Amino acid sequence: MEQFLQQLINGLAVGGIYALIALGYTMVYGVLKLINFAHGDLFTYGGYLGLTLLTSFALQGHLGTFGAIAILTAMVMGLVGIMGVVLERAAYRPLRESPRLSAVVSALGASIFLQNTLMLIYGARFQVYPEGLLPQVAVSLFGLQVPLIRILVVLASVVMMTALYLFVQKTKVGTAVRAAAIDQGAARLMGIDVNKVVSLVFLIGPALGGAAGLLVGLYYGQVNFTMGWIYGMKAFTAAILGGIGNIPGAMVGGLLLGVIEALGAAYISIAWKDAIAFCVLILILIVRPTGLLGERVAEKV
Amino acid sequence: MNGRLVVAILAAVALLAAAPFALDAYWLDVLNSVGLYALLALSLNVILGDAGLFNMGQAAFYAVGAYTTAILSTQLHLPVLWTMPLAGLAAALFAAVVARPVIHLRGDYLLIVTIGMGEIVRIALVNDVFGLTGGANGIFGIPRPVVFGYKIRKPAEFFYLIWAFVLLTVFLFDRLEQSRFGRALTYLREDPVAAEGSGINTVRYKLAAFVLGAAWAGMTGTLYAAKMTIISPESFSFWESVVLFLIVILGGAGSIPGVILGAVLVVALPEAFRGFATARMAVFGLVMMVMMIFRTQGLLPLRRPRFRERDLARAEVTRAEVPRAEAAK
Amino acid sequence: MKRVMGLAVALGLLASGPAGAADTIKIGLMAPMTGSWASEGQEMKRNVDLLAEQANAKGGLNGKKIEVVIEDDGGDPRTASLAAQRLTTKGVVAVIGTYGSAVTEATQNIYDEAGITQIANGSTAVRLTEKGLKHFFRTCPRDDEQGKVGAATIQKMGAKRIALLHDSSAYAKGLADEINTILKANKQNVVFFDALTPKEQDYSAILTKLKAANPDVVFFTGYYPEAGLLLKQKKQMGWNVPFMGGDAINNPDLVKIAGKDAAAGFQFLSPPVPKDLDTPEAKAYVVAYKQKYGESPASIYGVLAGDGFLSVTKAIAETKSTDADKIRDYLVNKMKDFPGLTGKLAFNAKGDRVGELYRVYKVDKNGEFVLQPK
Repeated sequence: MEQFLQQLINGLAVGGIYALIALGYTMVYGVLKLINFAHGDLFTYGGYLGLTLLTSFALQGHLGTFGAIAILTAMVMGLVGIMGVVLERAAYRPLRESPRLSAVVSALGASIFLQNTLMLIYGARFQVYPEGLLPQVAVSLFGLQVPLIRILVVLASVVMMTALYLFVQKTKVGTAVRAAAIDQGAARLMGIDVNKVVSLVFLIGPALGGAAGLLVGLYYGQVNFTMGWIYGMKAFTAAILGGIGNIPGAMVGGLLLGVIEALGAAYISIAWKDAIAFCVLILILIVRPTGLLGERVAEKV
Repeated sequence: MNGRLVVAILAAVALLAAAPFALDAYWLDVLNSVGLYALLALSLNVILGDAGLFNMGQAAFYAVGAYTTAILSTQLHLPVLWTMPLAGLAAALFAAVVARPVIHLRGDYLLIVTIGMGEIVRIALVNDVFGLTGGANGIFGIPRPVVFGYKIRKPAEFFYLIWAFVLLTVFLFDRLEQSRFGRALTYLREDPVAAEGSGINTVRYKLAAFVLGAAWAGMTGTLYAAKMTIISPESFSFWESVVLFLIVILGGAGSIPGVILGAVLVVALPEAFRGFATARMAVFGLVMMVMMIFRTQGLLPLRRPRFRERDLARAEVTRAEVPRAEAAK
Repeated sequence: MKRVMGLAVALGLLASGPAGAADTIKIGLMAPMTGSWASEGQEMKRNVDLLAEQANAKGGLNGKKIEVVIEDDGGDPRTASLAAQRLTTKGVVAVIGTYGSAVTEATQNIYDEAGITQIANGSTAVRLTEKGLKHFFRTCPRDDEQGKVGAATIQKMGAKRIALLHDSSAYAKGLADEINTILKANKQNVVFFDALTPKEQDYSAILTKLKAANPDVVFFTGYYPEAGLLLKQKKQMGWNVPFMGGDAINNPDLVKIAGKDAAAGFQFLSPPVPKDLDTPEAKAYVVAYKQKYGESPASIYGVLAGDGFLSVTKAIAETKSTDADKIRDYLVNKMKDFPGLTGKLAFNAKGDRVGELYRVYKVDKNGEFVLQPK
């Protein structure tokens, strides 16, 4: 029983990160109906930029841990968000009217370009975050020792998701986003500047991905330039699992996928863990393509 | 028969026959690699270019074929070339089983499913599923192909084998495009709803495209296994599927010449520029993005039949003849 | 027409064939300069370049200058076979390389048919020297030798419950299988045998499962990035069971990734690195390397490439010939106890390196790798 609970917690913590990245995928897909393959690489940039900022400004010396982390997160989110906006302008906006396939290929090209440019800049080896940044405190939960940070990761994901959800549901700008997701043409007729909405989505989504990258760097202590591919695939699976285009769905999908993976590793086999995740994806697409919480827009699949 | 195709094939045959006398073993091997990629890209072209189905898991079918040949030739000692149709069959069956539940999915979703499927196959190979695949080590000691008692070993010899198959494939696929089957695929690619309405069973044709593309990839797997004599899962990674996908799209989806040009560029250029290897991938990605913006249809896109003056004149003559034929009855 | 043009483009990309200068001896180096093992390839190049430079400064080989010809094998069998073909057309008399058993295997037949001696530096799969190839050698030990030492070390620790973890790669699984077989033959209790996925970050699920199996020692046969993460996360969990590793872990970045606290006490197997050798040649080499590149040699496989270079150039010098059969004859029959960078070099009839190379290293609390006494 103890192992089950421990694995459950492990899964939730990993799932929290998947959820954060999935939020970005789901937002972009909701508005543009495009799988942004480059999203995983933006997440990786978050991890690397965090490292560069951390070491070049020596923040932890100046502000104490939590202050430093807060500023760092803000900076990383801002930078990666801007990268997202630029990416959209350069690679996707010119293809708005083109067939779907072109945008997919362009997204793939962007992913390859970003990943390899990162490798050229930082080198092929793993990069390591400085030690001792996060407090290594463990709290006792259901009789298990759980590192505080893991709980914070899940909490951070939930907080960001809630903030995003409220933004989309309750604010005027959020309503514009939803309108553009349902029908771009009609939204334009209603006076909504769709280009601005799309730029906003590409600011927020990648910013969240960048934050996730920073979290991964801080918590696991290590980043490598291929992690965008793995995390991206898992996060995309999570988004589909919960229902693509659906914000709470991304959250649910992320956490659920993390738990399925952890339990699959524990009770079936670690070596097949990724295959299990992909099987889940395929099954969902066959059995319930709209995902657990349902796709936001009704469309023939 | 298309006159231009005949001329092209004859010229190609002449060039290819002469090549082993002009090139050294290394460049012949590069052309062998081009040939294999051309075959794979042509097989994917049937699925992606002709039928318009987003498939980024073609490497899985390639792997099924290669491993079938490897297992049959090392365990049952079947001659390699005899395993070729069996490899094609295995890949075809695999495609039929795997594609059936997902064939109705919309473009992007199908893309993701095929990616997932490719990965599952790769993981299964690495984990030595059924104890047959040798795990990460792969399978080694695959015997060389024997044609009428002659053992094929050197790059020059493989050159003839591979490119003969390429020419055969080009011929067959070109005929296919002109046939009823090919036209049905084109129809359902351009407008699936109208195609269904015209009585084309889209599910059956889509599956047929998948199965055919898979079978060809499987047979190419046989050639690859025979050439390398060892195969391992890393040759069948997601990246391979991406490369094939790109060859088809960047060369011109649906267009056989475009696809072959794509294969040539993708294989031969990195070899010619061996010095700039590290930046190669980043440039590749950039090229992809730029091409989609400026030349979406690819380098040598499919040319739609154009009606010219003489076609109009011919139509007039035929129309004038009809009443005469009627009167003669 | 377009297709013909396409073919013409391909043929037109012909680079002119190599024109070998008559007064150099060309030694080929096939290494992963790109791809996932680019860092190993770079190390291989550094070592061989330095040794060639040193040899040329002393007058070269048989009166001629040594020229090192490098080809990138991309860490992938297909690229490697093209690289090998290319090297055979460039007039090299021998090839050093490469890293990765599957990659090396793809090129063995090509060199054999061209009559070129091949000395691999980082290919430990047993079967590579079981094929009867007369001109294939390796300076790295085999997985079965490492397996023997691994199993012996585990038993010497007095461990009663043993966990084996690999990463599904050919090397790691091979080594884990060897250790497993020996332990089982000695009636030891292996309580866990599974693989993790490389390049992931979060190994908490695996560590939790390992912990539940309650082993006395965990032997991880994979590579250093994952080892570093395992050690770090194991410490975060507060789990103190000793971990051990194979020679793919021998890389200073291990301590960077795990952190000094977590890495302290970790043991692994490896051929001795130059700085731990007592011979004056090895010590001098480390100094020269540091002078040229600013740091000590980081990878044992790069150094083994250097040993391959030394072996083949010695054979050529002693036999005054570049004929592959004569080189083989020298290496197998006449070369005994030749001082190399990793110890004494000698080869047996199969082409394997003779001698018990593997030693145990322990990481101390400063993150230094300390060679343990035998």
